[in-house]
Amino acid sequence: MKEYIAMTRLFGTNGIRGVVNQDMNSTLALEMGQAWGTYLKKTIPRPKCAIGTDARLSNQMLKSAITAGFLSTGCDVIDVGLVPTPTLQYTVKEKQFDAGIIITASHNPPQFNGIKGTADDGTELTKNVEEAIEQIYFSKLFALSDWNDVGSYSTWDGAIELYIKGVLSRVDVTSIKKQQSHVVLDCGNGAGSLVAPLLLKKLGCVVTELNCEPDGTFPGRHSEPVPENLTLLMKKVSETHASFGVGLDGDADRAIFVDENGSYIWGDKSLSLVGKYITQKTKGGITVTPVTTSTCFEDVVRQNKGSVVYTKVGSPIVAGVMKKNHAVFGGEENGGLIFPKFQFCRDSAMALATLLEILATEKRPLSELIAEIPSYEMLKTKIACPNEKKERIVNQLVEEMKNHQEITDIDRTDGLKLYMKDGWVLMRPSGTEPIFRVYVEAKEKHQAERVALFYKNLVESLMQRA
Amino acid sequence: MKQPISKLIFRAYDIRGLYNKDISPEIFYKIGLAAGTYVKHTMQGKQISVGGDIRQSSQSLAHAFIAGVTATGVHIHHTGTTSFGQTLFTGGKLKADLIAFVTASHLPPEWNGIKFYYGDGVGFPEENLMAIRDLVLRDSFELTSWDHIGQVTPVDAKKGYKEFFTSQFKFKKKLTVALDCGGASMTLSAPEIFTSVGLHMIPVYCDPDPSFSKRPSDPKPKNLTTLVSAMKDNACDFGVAFDGDGDRAVIVDNTGQILSADQTGIVIGRYGLKKNKGTIIVNVECSKSVKEQLEPLGYQIKQIQVGHTFLTLEAKQTKALLGIESSGHLIIPEYFLFDDALVVPLKIAQILDNIKRPLHDLVMESPSYPTRKEELECADDIKFDVIERLKQDLSKEFEQVNTMDGVRIDFKEGWVLIRASNTSPIIRLTAEADTTAILQDLSTRFMKKTQEMIQQKKTAL
Repeated sequence: MKEYIAMTRLFGTNGIRGVVNQDMNSTLALEMGQAWGTYLKKTIPRPKCAIGTDARLSNQMLKSAITAGFLSTGCDVIDVGLVPTPTLQYTVKEKQFDAGIIITASHNPPQFNGIKGTADDGTELTKNVEEAIEQIYFSKLFALSDWNDVGSYSTWDGAIELYIKGVLSRVDVTSIKKQQSHVVLDCGNGAGSLVAPLLLKKLGCVVTELNCEPDGTFPGRHSEPVPENLTLLMKKVSETHASFGVGLDGDADRAIFVDENGSYIWGDKSLSLVGKYITQKTKGGITVTPVTTSTCFEDVVRQNKGSVVYTKVGSPIVAGVMKKNHAVFGGEENGGLIFPKFQFCRDSAMALATLLEILATEKRPLSELIAEIPSYEMLKTKIACPNEKKERIVNQLVEEMKNHQEITDIDRTDGLKLYMKDGWVLMRPSGTEPIFRVYVEAKEKHQAERVALFYKNLVESLMQRA
Repeated sequence: MKQPISKLIFRAYDIRGLYNKDISPEIFYKIGLAAGTYVKHTMQGKQISVGGDIRQSSQSLAHAFIAGVTATGVHIHHTGTTSFGQTLFTGGKLKADLIAFVTASHLPPEWNGIKFYYGDGVGFPEENLMAIRDLVLRDSFELTSWDHIGQVTPVDAKKGYKEFFTSQFKFKKKLTVALDCGGASMTLSAPEIFTSVGLHMIPVYCDPDPSFSKRPSDPKPKNLTTLVSAMKDNACDFGVAFDGDGDRAVIVDNTGQILSADQTGIVIGRYGLKKNKGTIIVNVECSKSVKEQLEPLGYQIKQIQVGHTFLTLEAKQTKALLGIESSGHLIIPEYFLFDDALVVPLKIAQILDNIKRPLHDLVMESPSYPTRKEELECADDIKFDVIERLKQDLSKEFEQVNTMDGVRIDFKEGWVLIRASNTSPIIRLTAEADTTAILQDLSTRFMKKTQEMIQQKKTAL
């Protein structure tokens, strides 16, 4: 058997991912359990770890392997079964476990799987912790327990009930029930199938289910809730005259909505709608989102006298900054919404319940509410650039643009973000490919196109000079 | 960390070693890969039932094994932490291609291992276990693709197993039975089942104790003093002690006398079988009284080589009514082919329920003959040759010679068995005779013959 782990980093933005039985195999999972267990044992005499999985075919194999690893280092493992990622995270927090492990590759195709970890409060592992675990992993210096100190394994099937109860306690169930909304729900055969149908029924909704059977081959659609994967959902919403539709990703931490006409709502818009509602209730407060999010979010938050803190891309980073700043709300433009009063992680069930509460409060169709969110033209493209030249190019760009009259502000949070009078451009060096990811936002489409072309040319000429 | 896997963990009937020294989750992962590969390619099968005994390291090893099996595309039914019988019974019901049980049986708690059975309860033969060994040592596994990964189904092994016993056993009398589980795996089944079939139970070490701190998991006479004294205090009809995983039961009669497997087998053969025609299987080490007592009743006694694997296989082929291994494994195929120890005390209870006599009386009906066991040192490279030559010579010299497992010479008044140990540089001599004088004479004679042969072979080298 070959091991393909040649890189020095295992954890990506969202845990460890790979193709099953190739780079994501049981040997890796077993040793990851031993490395992580060794890490936990340094500070906790008898760590209790909760483990759960999404609906993938390779889940139990990897779960068994990593469980063996944790047990062998003297950690107790509590198996909560097939659950959405936020359900596991909530369970870790509420039941005071020392760590959470979720076997998932989120929205990746079915041949992938992965390992994601949480700290004792249910939030995703910080980079420091990940690096400490990786270091143990590569050193292979595992603190294996003696025969009489091996951990105990048990199962607990109360996680979903606990989680649904938690969500219900944080929204106005009575008003939502009165609405009797008709929701078309597309779980993409993922882990959300275990929670969302039940939650909607408890909220008095009429539910039309699409792909709500957990199935690791993802027979219904691809797991990522982008427009091309939600065509059936959109069609079904308009056909059935539903109140709205919702599509989840594989591990149900992200929710994307479809309005009553069957139109796809971009994640920026739903983030802004929820952000607007929450900052209205909290009368302002701090919100957090990555630099890639549309300005419409800042617009609505500011209207309610709130403020926005921008972060690097990555939900664990957003969650971390939210926690530090006592934020009232946060999230990403991909449908990952974070409700800090509930927990510091992306949570589709909470997003869904909150949207129902908004509709119950506003008593207007979703399309109308979305229409009130300011609209911008966003353009995403990429520019080729060798990895070794990236840093120099960015620095030269800063020099070049510092005194440019069009630029009103420069932000270096993640790559280079240049603000203009009515828009911005963001150039992020990709961590994995020799490209810059370029995001341009403007009021008008032609403006965005003009800006994109300008920076593409500029980067290319800088590269030739470099 | 990555030490090579020792060949020595693979033994004739199971895999065993010291946890974290000879065996580890890494090694069990590989054993899982090998078992999966074997089931898929050699057996053309697709599922394995797996469970583990109560040892603290069993779950870690079982999970690693499961990770290996599923990586080859073979499915798993996982029974969790159970007694031996619970997993074997459940695997049988699920028609498993292979049943795997993580245990080191009666060995101390720092040991662990794994043993395999077929779904019908027949033990996994040595040559097949060696095929799995070779796959492990050669690292020769085939990982399947993502869409064919084996699935794990957790199954409850307790309910169906208990129901089986409550449907099979009902007692008219309230029998008092002292139950010594030694804190081991039988704590997970025996106390509950004893109570539910209506026995009055006196528990001895019936709380789970994975480190076997109360008594060693080997139920040999010297480890059963607490049981024997509890029996006397409570005027028990009989007592029973189990080993670590529950494939051996030792019965103690109402006077506190600890019975050998042969004695227990004779009582069951005489009073506990439904039919009086059919085969009873004994191995070459069993007492001659088994044959003397049971053959006149109409049973056919078939002698086989040592090893519970052969016992189960032979029992299946001959549709035997009873099988006795002198080491303590008993099978009663009207219930199971495999050596589940729980059926033994329940069968004894059934006998006492029907016959209004104390167990001690039933035991004393059969004579007990003196036996002698000796070990002779003999180098590994010649020990099998020595046995081969003895087979040839003794076959010429004596009339009743059995060479299926070592060489056994039968006389009217006794017998001698000479076998090479599979694992140590030793030749074992076992003898039984009507009187101590004959025993001395017989064993001394054959000790001498064996010694001479060893000497001859040594000089020939």
